Amino acid sequence: MLAEAVTALRSRWSCVDWSIERDSICASISPDDLRAITKYLISQEWRLGTIVATETHGQLELRYCLYATRHPGWVQLVIAPDRMERAVPSLTPVTIAADWFEREIEDLFSVSFAQHPRLGDFVLHDSQWAENAGLMRPGVHTSGDLSEQQREWRPKRVLEEEGAFVMPIGPIFSGDAESALFLLETVGEDVVRAVPRLFYKYRAIEKIAEGRTAADVLLLAERCAGTSAIGNGLAYCRAVERASGVEPPARAHVVRGFVAELERLRHHMTSVREICASTSLTVAASQALWLEEQLLRISGETCGHRYLFGVLAIGGLQHDVDDGALRACVAGAAALSPKIDQLRTALENSSSFLDRIERVGVVGREAARTFELVGPFARAAGVAADMRVIQPYDPYPCVHFDVPTESEGDGYARLRVLFAEMRASLGIMSELCAELAPGATRAPAAIRAGSALGWSEAPRGASVQWVELDDEGVVRRYRLTPPSFRNWHGFHVATEGFAFQDFPIVLATLDLSVAENDR
Amino acid sequence: MSWFIRGLRAGVLTENLPEGQNLPASLTPGLPRRTDFATEQEALEITSLCPTGALRAEERAVHVTSERCVECMRCKPEQDWRRDADWARFADGGPLEGAFTRSIHVRIVDAGDCGSCLSELAQLNGPSYNLHRFGIFITPTPRQADVLLVVGPVTRQMLDPLKLAYEAMPAPKRVLAVGACAASGGVFGPSVMCAAGAADAVPVDLVLPGCPPPPLAIVHALRALCGQERPA
Amino acid sequence: MSQWPLLLTGIAIGVALVGALGGVVSERRAAVVLTTAGCLAAALAFIAGVGMIFGAGSGDRFLWSFPVFGSIAIGTTPLGGIFACISALVYVPTSLYSLRYLERYRPEYSARAFACWYCVLLAAIIALFVCRDVISFFVIWEIVAIASAALVAYEWRRERNVRAAFIMLAMSEAGTIAAVVAMLLARAGSGSLHFGAPAAAISQAAAWAIFILSFFGFGVKAGLLPVNSWLPRAHPVAPGNVSALLSGVILNLGVYGIVLVNSELVPVRYAGEGVVVLVIGAASALIGILYATIEDDLKTMLAYSSVENLGIAVTALGVAFVFTAEHQTLFAALGFAAAVYHVLNHSAYKALLFLGAATLDAKLGGRSMNRLGGLIRVLPVTAALFFVGVLGIAAIPPLNGFVSEWLTFQALLRAVELSPLGLRVVFALCGATLALTAALAVTCFVKAFGMTFLGRPRTPLPAVDEAARAMKFGMALLALECILLGVLPTYVLPAISHGAADLLGPDTITAALVPPFFKPTAAPNPLPSDFVATFHALGAQIGRGAPGRGWVVMLRGGSANPVVFAMSTTYLLFIIALLLAIAYAVVRLASRTRRTSRSPAWSGGLSPVLPEMTYTATGFSNPVRVIFDAVFNPTEVENERDTIYQHFRSAIRRKREDVFWSDRILSVPIERATLRMAALLARMHHGRLPAYVGYALGTLLLVLAIVTFA
Ligand code: SF4
Ligand code: SF4
Repeated sequence: MLAEAVTALRSRWSCVDWSIERDSICASISPDDLRAITKYLISQEWRLGTIVATETHGQLELRYCLYATRHPGWVQLVIAPDRMERAVPSLTPVTIAADWFEREIEDLFSVSFAQHPRLGDFVLHDSQWAENAGLMRPGVHTSGDLSEQQREWRPKRVLEEEGAFVMPIGPIFSGDAESALFLLETVGEDVVRAVPRLFYKYRAIEKIAEGRTAADVLLLAERCAGTSAIGNGLAYCRAVERASGVEPPARAHVVRGFVAELERLRHHMTSVREICASTSLTVAASQALWLEEQLLRISGETCGHRYLFGVLAIGGLQHDVDDGALRACVAGAAALSPKIDQLRTALENSSSFLDRIERVGVVGREAARTFELVGPFARAAGVAADMRVIQPYDPYPCVHFDVPTESEGDGYARLRVLFAEMRASLGIMSELCAELAPGATRAPAAIRAGSALGWSEAPRGASVQWVELDDEGVVRRYRLTPPSFRNWHGFHVATEGFAFQDFPIVLATLDLSVAENDR
Repeated sequence: MSWFIRGLRAGVLTENLPEGQNLPASLTPGLPRRTDFATEQEALEITSLCPTGALRAEERAVHVTSERCVECMRCKPEQDWRRDADWARFADGGPLEGAFTRSIHVRIVDAGDCGSCLSELAQLNGPSYNLHRFGIFITPTPRQADVLLVVGPVTRQMLDPLKLAYEAMPAPKRVLAVGACAASGGVFGPSVMCAAGAADAVPVDLVLPGCPPPPLAIVHALRALCGQERPA
Repeated sequence: MSQWPLLLTGIAIGVALVGALGGVVSERRAAVVLTTAGCLAAALAFIAGVGMIFGAGSGDRFLWSFPVFGSIAIGTTPLGGIFACISALVYVPTSLYSLRYLERYRPEYSARAFACWYCVLLAAIIALFVCRDVISFFVIWEIVAIASAALVAYEWRRERNVRAAFIMLAMSEAGTIAAVVAMLLARAGSGSLHFGAPAAAISQAAAWAIFILSFFGFGVKAGLLPVNSWLPRAHPVAPGNVSALLSGVILNLGVYGIVLVNSELVPVRYAGEGVVVLVIGAASALIGILYATIEDDLKTMLAYSSVENLGIAVTALGVAFVFTAEHQTLFAALGFAAAVYHVLNHSAYKALLFLGAATLDAKLGGRSMNRLGGLIRVLPVTAALFFVGVLGIAAIPPLNGFVSEWLTFQALLRAVELSPLGLRVVFALCGATLALTAALAVTCFVKAFGMTFLGRPRTPLPAVDEAARAMKFGMALLALECILLGVLPTYVLPAISHGAADLLGPDTITAALVPPFFKPTAAPNPLPSDFVATFHALGAQIGRGAPGRGWVVMLRGGSANPVVFAMSTTYLLFIIALLLAIAYAVVRLASRTRRTSRSPAWSGGLSPVLPEMTYTATGFSNPVRVIFDAVFNPTEVENERDTIYQHFRSAIRRKREDVFWSDRILSVPIERATLRMAALLARMHHGRLPAYVGYALGTLLLVLAIVTFA
């Protein structure tokens, strides 16, 4: 399949040197070809996985990673723009999915993207950072370097109507919400459009990862979003293992898959709980909260940590998890399953609840595709994107599971997808449990220099990561593209035209994590 | 069947606060504690496992700076782990007094947390822990809050909002730093964008380590902060 | 027969005319002349008006006789006196205000022209109230119309202003013609154009024709639906002080005309007439306040609110008419008193609000509430005075608006005393409409004050200082009027009662509404003994020992089932003051031992909160717009979404237009019909000879037919 793709590419761009490295087609291309090639790939159903910017000795390099959706395989296009100009043609005119990637790189590397419709104030807030702070560039280390200064920030407004105003919500709002600012454009009553201003919680994980050992960066990958520690941690481990040619033993794969599904199960329960709470359905929210706590306890009993931190390690697992614990876990989760089903039926039968989530926060198939949304968010809109299937990795090729999809793309569709995925995860867990065979759980970590992509299907969708290691096993560049970063990009699509009182509901059904986005 | 009846039929799910030193892992993953090893060499080896420098060897004993522990589990089998929920320590000042012992309002501020600390906080209002029974309430406005509960290492871009929230609170007020991040910066801080915990921004009174601290430990900490019980 | 009020009126007119001449002389002194002449003439007119109310009446004097039309008659009437007083109460402060206000038009527009028209208008208005025959009345009426149109078009370089003035004049003329026809019809049988001439018997059809023509004819001036298209156009473009006069004086003339026709010329006979008045009044009130609530331009908003207030007054008038037709004199008097009281109150607070808006306009060069905000910090005095007006117009006790609305509601509630069920239903519906109106009025003026003076500026505002002293003084005078009219209803009502004595019989309402005391033993006790006894039985001895009159009370039913309506803004004032003082003292005492800390408003940790992040006026009233969408029936002029690269939303442009209801149902169809007719006529004039011969023949046949069969 990959060979066919590379042949097609060679026939079109014959002067480019196309090569296949493992499961990726790699090529260094000139910036002028970028748009045309990307456009072609997108028309062939390739999707943008991530854009990695690196700067070494003043030479900037941008790596555009796309993955196929029809067969396994990646394309990595590398461009090296001019040292002085630091200008690159923007991909946004070709695919809107590149929009936020480019804004991020503009902020962190001071690269200018020609023809990008809106740059500025993104990761580094204009109100605190100088223009061209370029935080990620080498040599920029402490906040002392980044001439901090107060600049005026004004929200970009889109609504032009007499009496229109911007209603700010946040950054600190609600009882236990994550910090983010929402700018609701309205003339009163209904909200015409809402855009988030994120990165209040920007911890510069990619920056502080540089210079840490691969093992220590795993801590960052897990804690980028504690609620999907396995999801992001796994993608990171896979990237490091691929970069240094470590192959984890079979048992490790099985257990990894097991905990990933356990996490998915718990995470989806949290989302259901948030949806119930946002509609003020207190009883349902309490029941979901209780179920969530039971799942947390099961996780704790099984792996020693309620949020599954410290389970993964480069090359396998940090500590083995014994079969008995895994079986007990499956039994415990299965015992909760009827309760989860009861909750689902009860929710589907309460019309007042459905009234509030149906046709709310609608993102259609077209938008989900063009914005390249991922995870349950996209699946509820009919885009069956799931890394476990389209770019399969162990142990998934040998388990059987459905990827549930819905077509409406509204809050209710997302709720249904969540419930269906919980059921599927339970199935995968018991299937994996049956496959358990004794064996080693960790390959000896022989970390070599190298770089590679790693990916996984985290609870919220595809997590795509890139690491570059040096000989000592120290991370030189870590690029983390979590699913929430992709899905927040679609937030404004879901919020075009809604009523004020629906805001928490839209927010809850979208199932977005600020921490995961902000990194 | 109406939700009301459904709720009644579920019965009371609230659990009594478990006491003791040996809680199950499901309630608390525990924290490493001071351990004596056979040789000095062994102690040093254990210390080198810790990615955040939470372990400190003194001769054959390994001491733990709980605030720095991010529960990475690397020292798990070797080091002794405590399994209780009484993790909080007063850094400064003391508990709230008088009428506050009966009831306090808490404003949570997320200053860069990873989501897990907040998720554990959300559990507090769940049926299992039911924070309300202690007269402790989570409020959306700092104007009514007696306690500022900070999670996360305090990112540069949340620094000002956090300070504003603290200033907006009426006296007397207390600050509770929850989680390794808020206690010491955790895995993130101090660094380019993160402070070394909440103490860099606001005066912290009570520090609760853990990554994340389990709900039981948070309940303990809040009760300690309003003088309902004394930390050990 | 005392002649001095008439004489004084003459002097006042003279002073005003001298002012008009004096104003023309010097550009520099024009404002001073205007203020002096205006204040003096208005003050004289006020005294004369008081004289007319309480005097015995001068009897009508006949000045000149004309061959066909008969003689010109002048004379004083209590009704004229009331309206003269109301006009004077607005004219004095407005004249004071104008002393410094006109500066803003310099040097583009001439102060001389303004002073001249201003004084001419004043002279004409004073004169109008002593005209006692159809000819002089309408001659003066025309002068008023022309002078006010001239003042509206003062900024004649702006096309919009001139247009508005022409529309105003055109509609006024149409109304005048209707009113003239009505008056002529009314006087047709008597053979004299003198108002006081004995009325001849009039057929039912004629009576209805007169009623409808005069009601809608004068209704144009009074700003009633559906003939008020001019009003929301003229008010906002007129200079601020002229807007105050338009609302405070000119609109009242319409009410004066309606009362004049229906009381003296052809007294109301049919309850149906009252119902028409009632329904039109209530509809005007509701539609007026709806448009006011969603309006963001301060002056346009005030203009719509004038429609509402005149609507309320006319509703009360309708109540009076119905009760008159049903021979319930007391309630008729109650309704009439409510109407006049409301007109009076409206003049005071609306003039105040218009002057306040004019101050903002002059200081900040804009009056869209979406741009203002936070002005209380830069214009504290103006804000305080404006606030008094807002309280008044929102009918918050103890301010004046409350009193007249209370009376209106009481009059409406007396529907139970009517026997026909249909009338009761109409009363109930109108009562509900007015209740909704009152609630919306509060919303509307919370918005007006809140958006303008509170919060933070929505756009950067120029550094300004407070209004000039004369301007503040003018507004303060009006504010004082609002307060006094509010807290002293027991002194205002007798005056109104006096003024309406001709129509209603002597002092009907004073006796029924304003008892001096509730002392069973007070001798000589002017109160009916069962009234006193009932009150005694109810234990209501309030007022004993309190000085003067303080209560407005109405007692219905017998002593077995007494129904009492009572209110006292007078005492309420003291009670409010007392409560506030106590509250203040308690807070002070309680907080003595506590430390107060201040910190900026909590805004979710967002700092600074930008001007574009505050609620706009449009946003504030948008719920009303959404709920009453069927009334506004807005047309979507624009709703465009711009996207770059197919998916990047770069702009959403939306624009809606609401056409004023009156325009929609009357002006626009008329305009369309006229254009169509013109097109038709144009087609007739295609220049072929046979066609013209045909037209001529046709016309001849038509005339013959009419002559033959008529
Ligand atoms: S669990 Fe805590 S103490 Fe142990 S190694 Fe990890 S961070 Fe250090
Ligand atoms: S302490 Fe641990 S769980 Fe809490 S926010 Fe920090 S990283 Fe997340």
